Amino acid sequence: MARVSMTTTPLRAAALALTVAAAVAAGWGGWSRYDAAHDASAAYAQARNDALAAGEQAVQNMNTLDHARLDQGLDSWEDSTTGDLHKQLVDGRDAFVEQIEAAKTVSTAKVLSGAVTELDDRAGKAGVMVALRVTVTAPEGEPAVKESRMLGQLTRTSGGWKLSALGQAPVGNTAG
Amino acid sequence: MTQDTATVTGPPDLGPVPESGPDGGPDTAPARRRWVRPLAAVLAVALLGVGGTLFVQGRQLRDTPATSNRALTDSAATSRVTGDVSSALGKVFSYSPQATAATKEAAKQLLAGRALQQYAALFGQVEKQAADQKLTLTSQVVRAGVTRLTGSSAHLLVFLDQIYEREGKAATTAAAQLSVTAELRGGQWRIVDITSR
Repeated sequence: MARVSMTTTPLRAAALALTVAAAVAAGWGGWSRYDAAHDASAAYAQARNDALAAGEQAVQNMNTLDHARLDQGLDSWEDSTTGDLHKQLVDGRDAFVEQIEAAKTVSTAKVLSGAVTELDDRAGKAGVMVALRVTVTAPEGEPAVKESRMLGQLTRTSGGWKLSALGQAPVGNTAG
Repeated sequence: MTQDTATVTGPPDLGPVPESGPDGGPDTAPARRRWVRPLAAVLAVALLGVGGTLFVQGRQLRDTPATSNRALTDSAATSRVTGDVSSALGKVFSYSPQATAATKEAAKQLLAGRALQQYAALFGQVEKQAADQKLTLTSQVVRAGVTRLTGSSAHLLVFLDQIYEREGKAATTAAAQLSVTAELRGGQWRIVDITSR
């Protein structure tokens, strides 16, 4: 009886310790998993990447237009934008179509680099800066290649991040 | 009859009770213990497994390619590298005929690696130009954004305005877009590579 209890007691203690350790491991794992799923910084990092990808694509779309496929191009402009910018594009579409059909230009753009400069995840607002190379080909003459730097404001919509404002980064404004 | 049945049922009734007591006790206890041990072991292993799986899932959620980039998520580090790099670019790309030595000295402090070599090659011409043509260059960062940031390395996109002034002529402003790589060395961000966009 004494021998039996001497062997079973450490065994039982070890088994108990293991079980407690296992329970703690499960609890800790569960907490870690829950915490990670609700990790605000992970969600913020993902929002930053999403905003940059959408912003770069939208800026590229807005600098791409083929007079032979105007509807497709202008649809993509409207798809890439929201708010006031979207409204401006829709309102000015007819006039713009005439203008491009007369000029017969083809513009293509390549994004060289982009960065998110500000991000308000809760408000669904972001600022992006994009360096791009735009090539404009007219019916006559050599294609004109221009390096361009643009600043955009993005707003999150149900269809993802879209441009609500877009403009050239000003040159010379910083000169005192 | 009643007496008979009482005596007949008496002993068998009394018999099994004291017998089954000491017999059944040791019999059912090991049977339960045989059951409990594997169950407890399986339970412990299952709990460990669940804990491990959840922990790994948590790690995967937390350590994505998105989270390893600390641009903006670490706002203090982001504004620090943006500030350091902006100020460094302003210093190394600004010079006047009288102060090329100061610019050169700043470059040695703020640049490193490939950027320092690129700069040394460029600055030989600049130094001569600045003196001959009385050329003053002032560079100012219009906008800078961090594309990628880790503990000791950063990639930035910088929009720069460069204002050229020649004595007796109107100033001209040129726009430059730079991709900059910086490394944190000795507590200070140093520019190690500059690519014009």
